[in-house]
Amino acid sequence: MKGLLIKDFKLIKNQKNSLLIVAAVGAAMTAYAENSSFLITYLAFVGSQFARNTISYDDFDNGNAFLFSLPVTREGYAAEKYIFGLMIGGGGWLFGTAAALIAGAVKNTGSPKDTFIIALILFPILLVFVSISIPFHLKFGAEKGSIVMVVTGGILAAAFVLAAKLTEAANINLSALADKLPAIGMKTAILAAFLTGAVILLISLRISISIMKKKEF
Amino acid sequence: MLKIEQLQKKFGTFSLDCSMEVKPGCVTGLVGQNGAGKSTTFKAVLGLISPDSGTIHILGKDLRQFGARDKQTLGVVLSDSGFSGCLTVKDIIPILGSLYPAFDKAFFRSQLQKFGLPQDKKIKEFSTGMKAKLKVLTAISHKARLLILDEPTAGLDVVARDELLEMLREYMEQDENRSILISSHISGDLESLCDDIYMIHQGKIILHEDTDVLLDRYALLKADPGQFARMDKQYLLRFRKESYGCSCLTDQKQFYMENYPDLVIEKGTIDNVITMMIRGEN
Repeated sequence: MKGLLIKDFKLIKNQKNSLLIVAAVGAAMTAYAENSSFLITYLAFVGSQFARNTISYDDFDNGNAFLFSLPVTREGYAAEKYIFGLMIGGGGWLFGTAAALIAGAVKNTGSPKDTFIIALILFPILLVFVSISIPFHLKFGAEKGSIVMVVTGGILAAAFVLAAKLTEAANINLSALADKLPAIGMKTAILAAFLTGAVILLISLRISISIMKKKEF
Repeated sequence: MLKIEQLQKKFGTFSLDCSMEVKPGCVTGLVGQNGAGKSTTFKAVLGLISPDSGTIHILGKDLRQFGARDKQTLGVVLSDSGFSGCLTVKDIIPILGSLYPAFDKAFFRSQLQKFGLPQDKKIKEFSTGMKAKLKVLTAISHKARLLILDEPTAGLDVVARDELLEMLREYMEQDENRSILISSHISGDLESLCDDIYMIHQGKIILHEDTDVLLDRYALLKADPGQFARMDKQYLLRFRKESYGCSCLTDQKQFYMENYPDLVIEKGTIDNVITMMIRGEN
């Protein structure tokens, strides 16, 4: 597992150009976007995409055949992809949240509480995103897996935009809404979202292990 | 060390049916044409494909129970697969260090220098020879007990091949219980390295012989039609019609040398034997 993680970190490290583009887009968002919380979404989801890309790197040029001749199990490989996805996606989420909070404070836009709530809502969505992207990518490979991901991403983006519009149209202030909710209610809702995300992730892991066990190289 | 019993695997019209053994301290060669089943056999041994039936035991353990820790005792070279080309040699050192507790970093680094393999260059930018050397070096740097090498010398020039074979000889000299299963298109490599050789054709093992026996006792007899008609054929393995008469493969060279002094007798080589076993008649 550790060896695979090292491999994936090395693979990502070698994608310097892509990392620079992400950093540049992230910096531009922080500087110019009114709502810096979008940065959290961007970094978290792009981060998890980097992790997913390592599956393509492994598969390229029949690389999996050699990879699975190393002291690596198929279960371990599948589990590592989730751990790595959560490390990179979670890292992006954490960094994005911190950057959004700092940008909000510097530019005096948005409340930290709103940013926190958005970040907490996004994390379970990130779990679901990772849960969908990994098994599809393992099963269908880079090309077909990407089509599925584009469709999934489109649906998620549409849902996000729709939710934002509805919130705006209804003149709902998330902070005010949170204040109105009993503390225990909000906490329970967020906890339930996290638990649901975790359960989906575990189911997805089992599916991915099953996909890997059936694969021949 | 490695025992394959009645391994069967079907891919469309291709069918593998293979039994073979690699004994401790031995270098065993697997030869055959392209598509004969060599790589399929290697992949089955490594658990990369699921056999339809049969058993594989590695170091006394059933392949189905052969886990990640057990795989640390293997060193593998695959002809068409390796570390991602996006990695550098410097990148793979900590990966190997983490995967193999017995990884000898100092040895690995010294060999990199010896073979002129740059540490900071991406593997995809390596020449064929450099990639092949890196693959073999990766396989022998963690004190593996069994090396499984599929075409490790493919695409190499004579000097590079000799260097690789020397590496393998040194690896064997370090521990008398180590073993190697190797396939190669270049029969000269196998003749100088292997203790015994399996020949595979259309998924089936058609010959297994000690290399010494193959080189000493096997011969290609060249007979004109009259000689062929008079010849005792009980020790002929295969024969094939030629423009001059018949070429015949025997594993009793001495018999024909003594009894048919007028026959043209060529020393047995792996190439001769493969050609006759595949193209000759029974």
